[in-house]
Amino acid sequence: MSHLHLPDGVLPPWIWIGALLLVLGILALAGRAIDSRRVAYQGALAAMMLAAMAVPLGPVDFHLSLAGPVGVLLGAAAGFQVVFVVSLILAFIGHGGLTAVGLNTLVLGLAAATASVVYGALARRLAPAPALALATATGQILSGLLWFGVVTLALRAPVFPASLAAHPPRLEVVSAVVIALWILGLLIETVVAYGVARFLARVHPALLPATRLSGESA
Amino acid sequence: MTSLLARIDHHASIGSTPWHRASALGKLVVAAGVIGIAITSPSLMLLLVVHGIAWLLVASSRLPARVALLAATYPLPFLGLFLLARWDGTAVTPLVLLLRPLTASLVVAWLVGTTPYPDLFAPLSRILPRQTGDGLFLTYRALFALLSRSERLSQSMRLRGGFSGSMRRRLSLAGEAMGTLAVHSFDRSQNLYASMLLRGHSGRICGCRHFAHRSSADLLSLAVAAVVATSAVLLWRVA
Repeated sequence: MSHLHLPDGVLPPWIWIGALLLVLGILALAGRAIDSRRVAYQGALAAMMLAAMAVPLGPVDFHLSLAGPVGVLLGAAAGFQVVFVVSLILAFIGHGGLTAVGLNTLVLGLAAATASVVYGALARRLAPAPALALATATGQILSGLLWFGVVTLALRAPVFPASLAAHPPRLEVVSAVVIALWILGLLIETVVAYGVARFLARVHPALLPATRLSGESA
Repeated sequence: MTSLLARIDHHASIGSTPWHRASALGKLVVAAGVIGIAITSPSLMLLLVVHGIAWLLVASSRLPARVALLAATYPLPFLGLFLLARWDGTAVTPLVLLLRPLTASLVVAWLVGTTPYPDLFAPLSRILPRQTGDGLFLTYRALFALLSRSERLSQSMRLRGGFSGSMRRRLSLAGEAMGTLAVHSFDRSQNLYASMLLRGHSGRICGCRHFAHRSSADLLSLAVAAVVATSAVLLWRVA
């Protein structure tokens, strides 16, 4: 549920414009930290994220994001860039508004970047599968909190510029549904991440960052 | 979701309406204008007018009705929740909250249904950081190949009992399946990058300049832009 499904027109401009500018700034900085020789690999993993998102896991278009594993496989900077590309392509099919691309990227990108950093710390002590699962869970928790903060802001914003919310929004309605989906999403993403790492550790360990550090090149 | 993407892409490539001949740049400007007005308009009347224009755009693009509706109504499940939380007892608030995203979705459906993705990405790649712009093209290139592979993988998992057993087992196996896709993606990307280098890749994928080619069909974009701008001027302060 970390993927923001906010459509166009429900967010006040200062939120989405601010988020978009922030994301463009991060992308410009991230570009310097990315190995340009891996651009094709990044494209392939972005496509994998889109393919994973194509599989519905239940109602309200619930689906995997794979932000955690992709963040770990590519690193925080490249993972963030891939998340932006995925969010933009999704917006072009109405999956999240075009104006929400910046926020989508921040939310999913936070999950990817957090997972990358946490995995780096855990991989020295744990096997790849539990390390990736825990890193993904941490990323999902943080991005879920950001997602909920954004939705709360959107609900509190006036519909028209001049209209002040005479009726306070029913946050409990959103909270009830969203928190349940968030917990479900957290569990699903974590177990799937465990499976991804278990497979990669057996078949192609060089793809996992910790293995790369030990001398093999990906 | 991705089958929707494939269908829209197919229609954008084979369609023959004037919108398909119009330049991507002109259509991007029209789309930005309509969406911008729809989401910032303080006037319900203006919002209704641009919503009507969005329907006209979709109808004139001859996008199959089912595909257009699927793309345009994608935000509805979340919007339903949002409307419930924002319900203030009036009809105007839910109407505005509904019309804004629906107008935007319809315009996006029109845009992507009449513009092949490479033409859409080319102008964007010029304003995005270099590697991000390249990522748009490479992701699009990899997506459809990966989709057919993931479908075959899903079929073989189903045949071999990969979708049976406890939820934990099924999800873990799904993760392993994603792992095979990651390995496949890595191998494929190595080959692709080697081919790119052999073909003289200089570190930048620019996309073609077809997106800026002007034709008589661009007069249509100009006319729509004029109607939208006039409506905004006349109706901005009308309740």
